[in-house]
Amino acid sequence: MLNFNSPIKEEKKYNDLNIIEVEPIIKINLRSNKREFSTKIGKILSILPPNEANTSSGNEKFNLLWLSSDEWLIYSNDKEMSLDDQTNLEDKLFNEISKLNQGAVTNVSDHWVMINLNGNKVYDLLSKSCPYNFNDFKNKKGSVAQTIVNRIDVILHHKEDDNLNLFVRRSFSEDLWLWINDSARFI
Amino acid sequence: MFIINCPYCGERDQSEFSCGGEAHIERPKQPTELSDDQWAEYLFMRKNIKGIQFERWNHIHGCRKWFNVVRDTSNDKIHAVYKMGERPPIK
Repeated sequence: MLNFNSPIKEEKKYNDLNIIEVEPIIKINLRSNKREFSTKIGKILSILPPNEANTSSGNEKFNLLWLSSDEWLIYSNDKEMSLDDQTNLEDKLFNEISKLNQGAVTNVSDHWVMINLNGNKVYDLLSKSCPYNFNDFKNKKGSVAQTIVNRIDVILHHKEDDNLNLFVRRSFSEDLWLWINDSARFI
Repeated sequence: MFIINCPYCGERDQSEFSCGGEAHIERPKQPTELSDDQWAEYLFMRKNIKGIQFERWNHIHGCRKWFNVVRDTSNDKIHAVYKMGERPPIK
């Protein structure tokens, strides 16, 4: 990963709402429409890529999010994962998938910023500027949604009740962070 | 504003999508043999129907997949949604 300076430097706490950036964690984008792909991912990560739309699969170490019928995002739960382990994982995936023409593996750790939102008011906050209907999302653990918040593309991953991870592109992260904090004052 | 049922992600607000214009326009098999007028006809001329129109849409803020929509342009009622490469379910 690059030695970047994050635009988000603090944890914010409001009534029934906590917001914090979670970094550094490895994020890897996977694309494939080959049959052997799922088996290979299963062997390497011990998780099978979800085929059902708007869902995720995961274990203690990793989460695998459905982004499209041929696209997935892996992210690590472990902030302490060493740089060597991250490089090994990426190399292993690259050698088993990209090199054998089974799909594409791209390290997007520095592309996405992950913000954790938790508290009773999470959905009140997002609903201020998001067209997505959260009724099913908030009742189903592991749900995934790609949508827009304040006209910025985001990926939402439901971790637990009232606790979700939001992925936003790095270049938009400061703008979204400011919007979230501004809006959180009024809920 | 209206709701579009993305064939991959499910029902989403129109603001997540981008319209790619009229669907089922075939690329000429021998483009080099066309006259300028015929080429311009293929490239630029669209029906712009008031009524039921076949369109291409992209879920640009979601799964980023292209698909086809049968939409009534006079009232935005969507009659059918189907994937690229599939035959239109209505004529």
